[in-house]
Amino acid sequence: MASHASGSLGRYAFSRIVQAVPLLFGVIIVNFLLINVAPGDPVTALIGDFPAPEEYIQTIRQQYGLDQGIGTRLIRYVAQVLRGDLGFSFHYRVPVLELVTERLGRTLLLMVITIVYATAIGLVLGIAAARWKDSLLDKLAVGFATVGYSIPVFWSGQILILLFAVRLGWLPSSGMQSTRITYEGLARIGDMARHMILPILALSLRYIALTTRLTRSSLIETLNSDFVIAARARGIKPTRILWNHGLRAAATPIITIIGYHFTFIVAGSALVETVFAWPGVGRLMFESIGARDYPTLLGILLIVSLAVILVNLITDILYALFDPRITYD
Amino acid sequence: MYISAKKPLLLLIITALIAPTVFGGGGREAAPAPARNDMVIVLGADPEHLNPGITTGYPVAAATANVYSALVWRDAEGTPQPDLARSWEVSEGDTVFTFHLRDNVQWHDGQPFTSADVKFTMEEILANYHGRFEGIFNRIASIDTPNDNTVVIRLEEPYAPFLISLTVFDAPILPQHIFAGQDPLNHAATTAPVGTGPYRFVRWDRGSQIVLERNETYFGDLAHLERIIFRIIPDEGSRTVALQTGEVDYIWGFYLPSAGLQELRADPNVEVWQGVRIPALHFMFINTGNEPLNNPLVRQALMHALDRDLIVELAQEGLGNTAIGPMGAAFPYLFDSSFDLSRRYPHDPARARALLQEAGVGEFSLDIVYDSGRPAFADAVDIMRDNLSNVGITLNLQPQERSVMIESVYQQRNFDLSMQSFTSGGDPSIGYHRIYITQPFGRPFVSATGYSNSRVDDLLAQAAITVDLDARRALYLEANAILAADVPLIPLFEEMSVEANNQALRGLRESLDVRDRLHRAHWER
Repeated sequence: MASHASGSLGRYAFSRIVQAVPLLFGVIIVNFLLINVAPGDPVTALIGDFPAPEEYIQTIRQQYGLDQGIGTRLIRYVAQVLRGDLGFSFHYRVPVLELVTERLGRTLLLMVITIVYATAIGLVLGIAAARWKDSLLDKLAVGFATVGYSIPVFWSGQILILLFAVRLGWLPSSGMQSTRITYEGLARIGDMARHMILPILALSLRYIALTTRLTRSSLIETLNSDFVIAARARGIKPTRILWNHGLRAAATPIITIIGYHFTFIVAGSALVETVFAWPGVGRLMFESIGARDYPTLLGILLIVSLAVILVNLITDILYALFDPRITYD
Repeated sequence: MYISAKKPLLLLIITALIAPTVFGGGGREAAPAPARNDMVIVLGADPEHLNPGITTGYPVAAATANVYSALVWRDAEGTPQPDLARSWEVSEGDTVFTFHLRDNVQWHDGQPFTSADVKFTMEEILANYHGRFEGIFNRIASIDTPNDNTVVIRLEEPYAPFLISLTVFDAPILPQHIFAGQDPLNHAATTAPVGTGPYRFVRWDRGSQIVLERNETYFGDLAHLERIIFRIIPDEGSRTVALQTGEVDYIWGFYLPSAGLQELRADPNVEVWQGVRIPALHFMFINTGNEPLNNPLVRQALMHALDRDLIVELAQEGLGNTAIGPMGAAFPYLFDSSFDLSRRYPHDPARARALLQEAGVGEFSLDIVYDSGRPAFADAVDIMRDNLSNVGITLNLQPQERSVMIESVYQQRNFDLSMQSFTSGGDPSIGYHRIYITQPFGRPFVSATGYSNSRVDDLLAQAAITVDLDARRALYLEANAILAADVPLIPLFEEMSVEANNQALRGLRESLDVRDRLHRAHWER
């Protein structure tokens, strides 16, 4: 029975991945055209701010393939991607795959911790608010969620920097590690952790707010549903109802929101990475647009699209695990 | 029963909320170690690469000016001083320059430096890839190397700024043994430089930092500090904060937001320096091909309509001088009170309206294109819109991203007015002539006005090859008098540089361009 279920889940996952292939092609083609049709020229970013020798400009164009028609360039790019090669960054002079995966790793480090931390707190606050609905705690949680959701991250970031880095001097204001001292081993992890605290706090506000509100409302809905009322009538303890029935039924929307957070990793991190000088992929994307670094930008968009497709798939599989009503036969 | 459920939950909430703060612990990075051996300098973005021979971009030169050397460096007054050249002679007639190179100079990889490196760099790299040196190279007749320690450069004709153009910013000397026969654009040494300078390149963590360490075999006095670290901080506000917390030590004017100045001035741990080193002009291109801007009276009316003092005060934190001629006022031989634009065209809306009436134009609108990445430009443009509306001109704002702006202004000439700032490059013939002489369309970073006056072209060409300062002054006076009347563009103000550093740092700004000679920097003892 179990093997049958996992088999059908495997088939489901496989078909979803197959469906993703044309989607990815679409992503590549649309992005390629959009980027290349937009005004701006990558060469101007490279030569400096004095007129450069004409031959030099021609050489750069040739090397980057910018002297070719847009159709030729697109075909070449797709062929290259199929070979697993995302090209060479105009701006950073390193292979795009290497650049993007390194930066993505740092963004994930920041964002995964943020999402885990924010989800934990959001769940706790949301459950507490639902459990003691209309209490002072509930009102505080709802108020916090409203405020937290409305504060833009660049503002909360600056306030946190002013408080913890400038006034109190407890934490570094920016960067991923200390510049003057190079730590090794455990000390290095501790150093990085210290640099991560403020960006994580700034980022997590919004995520905590969203998770709190969603957990609270879906839990309240569940706790008011017939089967919970029936359970209460049978004399089951409220705490047991909350943990065994309520949370399990409320899990689906919560998983949805966590998946949603993951799909916004790159877009959500661009601002915070700029404010805190965190060398992640969100900032890389922003800078690549400014420099018209087409290969890097395309590489990021492709990898991010891939990640979104994967996260959506994982979310769908998790639904089935948490909600017995959902199967993928 | 309720109580038992409450307790762990509350405990969990409290723990989760305060955990990160407790986890933080430790003090700030600022706490200065007893003997400080490094200096952290801000860069706003990663450089495109680390090869100053193939770009004129600011960040590349900033990160490499102490890794490479050049024949000369310029002191704070602008006088050339010996660097790789220990001395030089200039022939009668100012056309033959004989440089005697230092003995026993080594590249960072241990190879000996010789005159062949100088010849190779100028002929094979700079002439082909460096925007400013290309113009100098076109004036060079020959480069000879009679022996390993001598370089003889013959010019076609005298060129006033020749010697001062041989600094590490315009003519960094690159290693022939590494670049010969190679494509410098894609060479490994373009991202991991090998120079002869006081610091050697260690590593570049893209997005985070570039690390240099002291070159123990440097030909001059060894650097005081063991390491220089360039820290990349994209957000302007975060840069000033990092200086205040002691995470960085030095912010160059190029990366210093004027919005943060007040706070930095009030901080006792920060020294704010201001002054003019390499003059730079902020101005507005006028597209003289468009009606009614082809009429000089209309252009003069624009001068009267704009309140340039207010622009400096509000958009520039007061850091600018409006009492300037068409080529500023910082080069004394370029300026004369007879064409002081602040007196010749004072802010006078009535006079502007009269001139427009005289020109026979009614109300009209103009498109102004500017780089949206420069907040000070946006502030200035807002003031201009207000000024111009007082004389019946509607200003349509078109903020554009830098690379788009370059395309609209220089390639398509799709603008009426465009706000720009150009550096003089240390001499008017390097940086300022290009904005007034007749130019073909399509080249970025030269005049986009379409203005063409053969007399001005002749005078400026003559000024470039006139070494005697009195004779040069006479040429500039005549050219500037024409330009002041014709108004092919609107000079707004000459910029005052400002930079900030940890107040305990000493030995900065020894050089005209603050980016080189960092090996003289040290901490107060």
